[in-house]
Amino acid sequence: MLYRTAGQFKTSYRADQALFPLRQDAILLGVILALAWVVFPLTASEFAYQTLLIPVLIYALAALGLNLLTGYAGQLSLGTGAFMGVGAYACYKLITLFPELNLVVAVLLSGLFSAGVGVLFGLPSLRIKGFYLAIATLAAQFFLVWLFEKWGWLYNDNASGAIQVPNVEMFGIWVAGPLATSTAQYYFVLGIVTFLTVVAINLTRGAAGRTWKAVRDMDIAAELIGINLMKAKLHAFAVSSYIVGVAGALFVFMWRGAAEPNLFDIDLSFRVLFIAIIGGLGSILGNYLGAILIVALPVLLNTVPDLFGIAIKSATVEHVNVIIVGCLIILFLILEPHGLARLWQLVREKLILWPFPH
Amino acid sequence: MRPWTRLALAGAVAAMAAGAAAAQELYTPNLSYRTGPFAATGIPLMNGQRDYMLMLNARDGGIGGIPVNFEECETGYNTEKGVECYEKTKAQAIVTQPWSTGITLQVLPKTNVDQIPILAPGYGFSPMTDGRTFQWAFNPPASYWDGAYMILHHLSGGDLGTLSGKKIAFLHLDHPYGKEPLPLLEKLAADHGFTLLPIPVGLTEMQNQSAQWLQIRREQPDFVIMWGWGAMNAAAIAEAVKTRYPMNQFVGVWWASHTDDLQLVGEAGKGYRAISWSLPNPEAPVMAAIREHVIDAGKSLASAEEVGEVFYQRGIVISAILAEGIRVAQEMHGTAQITAAQLRDGLENLDFTQERIDELGLTGMMAPFSTSCADHTGHSGAWMLEWDGTQFVQASDLLQADQAVIAPLVAEKAAEYAAANAPWPVNEACEG
Amino acid sequence: MELLQRILVRPFAEMFGAPDFLMQVIWEGLVSGILYALIALGFVLIFRASRIFNFAQGIMVVFAALTLVGLHAMGLPAWVAFAGTLAVMFGLAVAIERLVLRPLIGQPDIVLFMATIGITLILVGSGEIIFGGENKVMIARELGIPSGSVELNPFGGFMLLEARDITVVAGAVAMVLGLLAFLNYSRMGRAIRALGDDHQAAVSVGISLSAIWVLVWFVAGIIALMTGIAWGSRAGVSFALEIIALKALPVLMLGGLESITGAIVGGLLIGVLEKLFEIYWGQPLLGGSTEAWFAYVLALIVLLFRPQGLFGERIIERV
Repeated sequence: MLYRTAGQFKTSYRADQALFPLRQDAILLGVILALAWVVFPLTASEFAYQTLLIPVLIYALAALGLNLLTGYAGQLSLGTGAFMGVGAYACYKLITLFPELNLVVAVLLSGLFSAGVGVLFGLPSLRIKGFYLAIATLAAQFFLVWLFEKWGWLYNDNASGAIQVPNVEMFGIWVAGPLATSTAQYYFVLGIVTFLTVVAINLTRGAAGRTWKAVRDMDIAAELIGINLMKAKLHAFAVSSYIVGVAGALFVFMWRGAAEPNLFDIDLSFRVLFIAIIGGLGSILGNYLGAILIVALPVLLNTVPDLFGIAIKSATVEHVNVIIVGCLIILFLILEPHGLARLWQLVREKLILWPFPH
Repeated sequence: MRPWTRLALAGAVAAMAAGAAAAQELYTPNLSYRTGPFAATGIPLMNGQRDYMLMLNARDGGIGGIPVNFEECETGYNTEKGVECYEKTKAQAIVTQPWSTGITLQVLPKTNVDQIPILAPGYGFSPMTDGRTFQWAFNPPASYWDGAYMILHHLSGGDLGTLSGKKIAFLHLDHPYGKEPLPLLEKLAADHGFTLLPIPVGLTEMQNQSAQWLQIRREQPDFVIMWGWGAMNAAAIAEAVKTRYPMNQFVGVWWASHTDDLQLVGEAGKGYRAISWSLPNPEAPVMAAIREHVIDAGKSLASAEEVGEVFYQRGIVISAILAEGIRVAQEMHGTAQITAAQLRDGLENLDFTQERIDELGLTGMMAPFSTSCADHTGHSGAWMLEWDGTQFVQASDLLQADQAVIAPLVAEKAAEYAAANAPWPVNEACEG
Repeated sequence: MELLQRILVRPFAEMFGAPDFLMQVIWEGLVSGILYALIALGFVLIFRASRIFNFAQGIMVVFAALTLVGLHAMGLPAWVAFAGTLAVMFGLAVAIERLVLRPLIGQPDIVLFMATIGITLILVGSGEIIFGGENKVMIARELGIPSGSVELNPFGGFMLLEARDITVVAGAVAMVLGLLAFLNYSRMGRAIRALGDDHQAAVSVGISLSAIWVLVWFVAGIIALMTGIAWGSRAGVSFALEIIALKALPVLMLGGLESITGAIVGGLLIGVLEKLFEIYWGQPLLGGSTEAWFAYVLALIVLLFRPQGLFGERIIERV
């Protein structure tokens, strides 16, 4: 009904390969964008901004970066948290060294640093595969966090060893630091996330995306049909780490406000990985669905018992949350290995056919 | 945050809890940690804090006739979770008790905007002493820099000059808390010619300090000063016994004076010292009141053994400082239902004279101090506690830190902080 | 020049200058190396029998140790608690096989790996709820592990060997020998090895996949319990152990995923080398705490030259 395709004819290949072969998809996306850009900011409370809207966007962006590497190019990485850290520290150094720099420019530049580090740690992927590579990315994870801790220059030799986001102004509005309003920060994040998502969608639909998928499905076969493995893998590492780095910069500047090195520890890497898995590897949409689920779950768990007047200790809620995430991962792997994105596709197909069964 | 959002949020939350909101209460949430690797040292402190407030509620019906809501928000000593707790409670709370230097540092810039006082008794950022710069932060009765100075002063036998040529290892948690005294220690090392050897212990290696203690064995420092917390302390003391480091050259900060940590080694830990701004005194009248109204009523979470220990009783002193701040604020503003801003005035005008301490029943548990607009710490001084094989006993008279040495550093670091966080409001109206 | 001297000369001069200290460093490294090796052994067993890279091995160590301490705290005598923990680990193995592995048979390796991350989370959460997150003391004395220490005086210096470390080393050696005997001489053990060599061939000669999987996970659980007792009696039982258990991963990279010898040699090598590096290079030159990453970087470098690890089977890829 809602998704009836009748009357939408494709007369060229170009039309069939379009971003939205169905008019309804475009409308749906338009509605979502309108919600994100207009409706949410008008209605959201401070609490909603800080615990839902901003973190969902940032985590989704980080998962998107990881997904390009793991879901599209097939290289499992357990070092996402540390690469986010590289982006965050780079942005901090840029802003403190050049206070005049526009924050958008600084954030986008800081991704370049994590891209560089990502390529460096991606080099072993040319010789190491599968689990061995996953463990190799752990070297990046532990080494980089150690570096954040020991290299005083990175945090301006701050006594506490933490980086503190200064107040940053852009066009007369505070966008980062304690003086910034949540609305400004939300729009900042939304702008960058929208932009990078468009870039990512086009990358995965183009030559780069097809190369990555060929490498993922079987790298030797890909090499035989003339794909330069080194270029393809390093390209994937660079693009992925760039996006992850930008997400890291946003993570600290637009949301946390300050960061200690152990904020970027392995737990963060895993959280992003879970979002990508539950959302669906090899999908762009999935990252958003996964982020919504993972971010909203603890908030829900915290409020639901209150509504029923049951007092549960905050620590217990925390642990129940961990168990539920674990169960969800296993459930998804068993029932729907392609994650939430695939679930949505199934729903969509059903909608297209509805009310007929076939 | 902007007042209208705060109002809207407060309104929304109040509407949700319609029944509860009608009753007056003083909401003083505690960002506690009863789980995780720091729980062992956190639990007794938090039990002490909680029991004192429960006692006030049971005995006096709260403070100024309004009951205290001493709810806990679990952080696990994790900075990220702590900030979440702060955001969650800030709409209604009249105070933030962050319970970790890391969390304190992160919420510090926000409190200026949100206008909520931070109360960090004996922890947090030492320059918070400077009330002109840190208008919303309080760390009575002594800062970490006070503590570090008093330890060195005591070790040197009263003259820091005698430390010249000595080697002092600084075993610390690799976390904002552990790094906090470093600026002062470095300055003192430069001024008095001793070698400072910082030895960090990472969060993941707290329980496996063999590398750190091998280093201590190799370097043979004259003293080891420990800024440890949680599972780190017990492991460090066990390793010290194992490497046969002389216990009388091993001194901890006040958070490294947990009875349980020392009980693991018992006799072998004899001679270990820790500086402390609180003393356990099971005979104090307040203890009798807590026994009567809380423990015997079955409302306490503490075990019988814990009640006599250093940390539980320090928790009581901490809550007493907050309760006194609330009382002063109520008197100043002539209202029982005070706001966060009014509590700030109360905490700025604390006056714990010996008389007042006795009145509160805290006799022998703390030293007199008073805060002011410019001085948010009060500098009560502290005692050395010594492990005698079975318990901690007082091992010195009241020590004092030389503020003439510390104050310039406080001013310097506070100015640096304000510059890094510009625009940062500084209250120039304060006097001396 | 000065820097080169500090990197290349001074550390060795120090080693020879204080050989008793060097021996102490090596001993400490060996003891932690044995614990890494034990955890890695659990990984290898499961990997050989089922090609599953079991990320949950580390948390199984914590969970087993917590169960043991928890049961003892409930008032059970130490050995009863020990038996009870074994029963719990068996139940866990059955549950994992039934609920997680069986529905996932035939899925790509990476899916199974992620499923074990899911298991990890479930064990973390339930462990925290059931036993609480605070640090606990291992019931070493009740289990008959001696305390106290032996002092040796090599080269006129002194060296302290703790009795419980010696017990741990002896226990680990006995366990590895027992495991090898089990794998080589028992019916079940041979079945496990057969599965490791060729899955389909093993199934076709009548080896029951699910029975073997339960058995392997149970044996991994026993190893986890032993590791938990050993490490717990050194440093207490807490969830921080999980991070230490991750160290088994570089051990596996170094030793190769399939090799029991590799796990043991890799574990000892990493334990000793990381301690030597930390004491003689890390602390004087890099500000310390290098143990956090040294093992991973070492393994990474070795892998660049030998992608299958020191003892792993050579991978031949065909299209």
